Amino acid sequence: MAVTVCSTAFEVLGRRQAASLGCAELPIVLVPHPFGSISRSALPKIAKEVAAQIANLMAEKNTSRASTVLVDHCEMLNVSSDVEIFHRLCIEQKLSDGLPVIPPTPERVQKMLAQSARKPEEVIARLAPAFGDATVARIATNAVMAGCTPQCLNVLIAAVEAIACPEFNLQGIQATTNPAAVWLVVNGPIASALGVNGGANCLGQGVSANVTIGRALRLIMQNIGGAFPGDMDRATHGQPGKISLCCAENESVSPWISLHVERGLSTETSSVTAVGFSGTLNMNIHSKNAHEILRSIADAMAHGPSNDYWCGGEPWIVISPEHAQILSEAGLSKNEVKQHLWEGSKMSASRMADKDLERTRRTRREELGEITAHTKLSISRSASDIGILVAGGEGTHSVYIPGFGNSRSVTRAVDAI
Amino acid sequence: MANSILIHNPRAPFSQGSGLKASVLDHLAGKVVGFIDNTKPNFNHLMDDLAVTLLEDYQVRSVIKRGKRVQSIPAPSAVVDELVAECDLVITGSGD
Amino acid sequence: MVAVEICSSAFVNLGRSQARALGYENLPIAVVPHPFGTVDRQIVRQFAEKCACDIVALVCLPPVTETLEDYQPIIEDVQGAAELTIEHAPNLMIAFNRLCRDRFWSDGLPVMPTTREAVSAMLAQTKRPPQQVVARLAPGFGVATVECIAINAVLAGCDPEYMPILLAAVEAMATQRFNLQSIQSTTNPAAVWLIVNGPIVERLGINGKFNCLGEGVWANATLGRALRLILRNVSGALPGEMDRATQGQPAKYSFCCAENEGESPWEPLHVERGFSSEQSTVTVVGAEGTMNMCTLVKEADELIRVIGSTFRHPTSNEYVHGAEPWLVLCPEHADILHEAGYTKSEVKRRLWEASKMQASELSKEDMSRLQSSRTTELGVIGADTLLPISHHYEDISIIVAGGSGAHSVYVPCFGNTRSVTVAIASDEN
Repeated sequence: MAVTVCSTAFEVLGRRQAASLGCAELPIVLVPHPFGSISRSALPKIAKEVAAQIANLMAEKNTSRASTVLVDHCEMLNVSSDVEIFHRLCIEQKLSDGLPVIPPTPERVQKMLAQSARKPEEVIARLAPAFGDATVARIATNAVMAGCTPQCLNVLIAAVEAIACPEFNLQGIQATTNPAAVWLVVNGPIASALGVNGGANCLGQGVSANVTIGRALRLIMQNIGGAFPGDMDRATHGQPGKISLCCAENESVSPWISLHVERGLSTETSSVTAVGFSGTLNMNIHSKNAHEILRSIADAMAHGPSNDYWCGGEPWIVISPEHAQILSEAGLSKNEVKQHLWEGSKMSASRMADKDLERTRRTRREELGEITAHTKLSISRSASDIGILVAGGEGTHSVYIPGFGNSRSVTRAVDAI
Repeated sequence: MANSILIHNPRAPFSQGSGLKASVLDHLAGKVVGFIDNTKPNFNHLMDDLAVTLLEDYQVRSVIKRGKRVQSIPAPSAVVDELVAECDLVITGSGD
Repeated sequence: MVAVEICSSAFVNLGRSQARALGYENLPIAVVPHPFGTVDRQIVRQFAEKCACDIVALVCLPPVTETLEDYQPIIEDVQGAAELTIEHAPNLMIAFNRLCRDRFWSDGLPVMPTTREAVSAMLAQTKRPPQQVVARLAPGFGVATVECIAINAVLAGCDPEYMPILLAAVEAMATQRFNLQSIQSTTNPAAVWLIVNGPIVERLGINGKFNCLGEGVWANATLGRALRLILRNVSGALPGEMDRATQGQPAKYSFCCAENEGESPWEPLHVERGFSSEQSTVTVVGAEGTMNMCTLVKEADELIRVIGSTFRHPTSNEYVHGAEPWLVLCPEHADILHEAGYTKSEVKRRLWEASKMQASELSKEDMSRLQSSRTTELGVIGADTLLPISHHYEDISIIVAGGSGAHSVYVPCFGNTRSVTVAIASDEN
């Protein structure tokens, strides 16, 4: 027999997830929320109440419990052709992300499917937390809704493969209270073929390829993965990157090998990399000295309430072409930049709050041994876990992109058309 | 419907619920109870207090406490296998 | 009197577009190589010699008619928006979106057709006449009439009831202290964050709880987006052109939320700023990013310490200029601070002290910028000077928002801007 103890605010996630995994009758016993703030002296009484609830489950074993019953599913829907009425339906049924979508008619979905050699019914992955089947046809449907051109389909298929890999930890990213979102980085010839922006404003709005690809993935994560905000998606605040974040690397101006080549693919192979991230921090550095730039970036990376430090995570830096040029001209390779940043960003554990230090001790004991307030914590397990991308237009800005903590980025080749 | 169009459903069908029947014990006395500590604050204390209560007040035979490195990854399969093999009841946690 | 602008080559587009927008399309512009800031002093001398010749040629010779970039503002004058008839078979949505893509009227996502009916429904939500000028918006100084705002609201997918919010937001953005000019044309990733307070929040379903800074809720997504479309289509800031953002950030798609007034232990933002609680308001903020602060701390001063440590970073515009950093406190963290007996003002004061950063953290060049910007305020600034993040502790701004969870969010801001709160007119509809 299994029982889950849930703090009240998380009951809905517990019940939905249990239903998704086919065990809607999983007994759930509730404790007050936030449970973590309750004083130690109050816990024995709560424990007695929990024990009594578990014992009651035995007594009630012949009483049927309500199962989560979800709406009957149809593959095709009849909807109004009026754009405003369709718009309303999407709001009511939560089919969209809050913005207008293109109705995914059979003609539009077919046009999308014609770009892939795969069969429409092929299951690319089952996506957490609801473990819905991401078929090629469903991926195409969500891509049409997002506004993608048909040529984007193969990028999205590769992205879905990537996020379903165990090391990406989609379950953690989708259900967390953290503002975890998925950033897609496109490399290789397909970036320019699709017009994916890696230059000025590449992390912002304006370019259709960027915003629609990132958005399609979010719709897939919601409509197929089942993570609806306030429901299985428990994000306290979320972040704007949950609307969409997708860009190319600015390969032509980068002084180093590009991300996909660094990861073992050939230059001519197109790829997509999925990164679980928590936010973006502007780093405005006017210095023209390589070591000063690195020191400034490393200092900006270090902060007490960081998931990367307590987990040993995977932080990313988007380096502007100007900064990359300065670093490269100082003779630094990408690996050397990572090494300098890794060393420079080591942070005294005393910068954390006591309870955060406690969780760090538990989480990283195997990796680092005993951790005290005097320990200098590395932001990641090794320098090679720091991700670096050269992207952006002119300007003295690089961007720190903190990771989710318990996720590793995954790179997948995009099917050639 | 007048002026209607056919669209593909962007949603995947989600589970209808009870694929697995939840098994329930007759009573707690004499049973082996396992815990997976989800590492969230206070769960370790709850686990300790529950263990005492179940042993003293409900006469469970014994308690096995296991954990995982961090809350947002699953427990190691060796831990899961051990608890499935050894325990009559497993208690886990979710939330904050 | 003759004026000449010297532009580094990467910024010539911005210079030309802005000059044209200000009605001075023949402004002489002398060009130097980019990046200009990196070159040695003796190279600057060489550039100066060439620049001097260029300037003489520009101002002393007969004017040359330049062919400028083909930038067409959507609204040419205040006589009313041009109407277009488009072929939309077989589908209005597709045809309209194709048009918008070709004309750069969209942000890259699908837009709703701006039919006469849809725009009229939007205009019906205000008593203001359609051609009333709400503001002229930098950097193109396009005229934001009520009708223009309505058109962009339709494009974004807004419900008509959102119109009064957008009218107030445009007024707010146009105020001098907000400094829209710099926010729009900077290389920094400055986005406009819209915060809504008061009874209108519940009436329109604007989210201030779970995932309030993310996607999903129609009001949040379309309001933030409408503002961005206005900033493109009316004020003319197109990325790579007048909008010089190096990388930008995702908040430039949309960034709008409500305060979670029901779960805040303190007075809400608009009351703090002198409005009555029954008055609905908008606040516009020039935001540069979002930093998650996941902390299990339960003790007030320790919470302030770790938030302060997140504020402190040497690459920050806020320390260089003395700015207005923002903090989104989750209800759980707000309760911890309130239960320690701290008012919002006391939290700000303690945070201000806890976040002071030594000037030596800055790079040499950023130290120069700092000294240039804050010597009047702080006196002589040396390596040991402890820099406050803002001029006064009251410049730290706080809202309570979010659902359950132990997270708060630091929203660093563009250095030279101050947020503006404006009442939403209650007699609009």
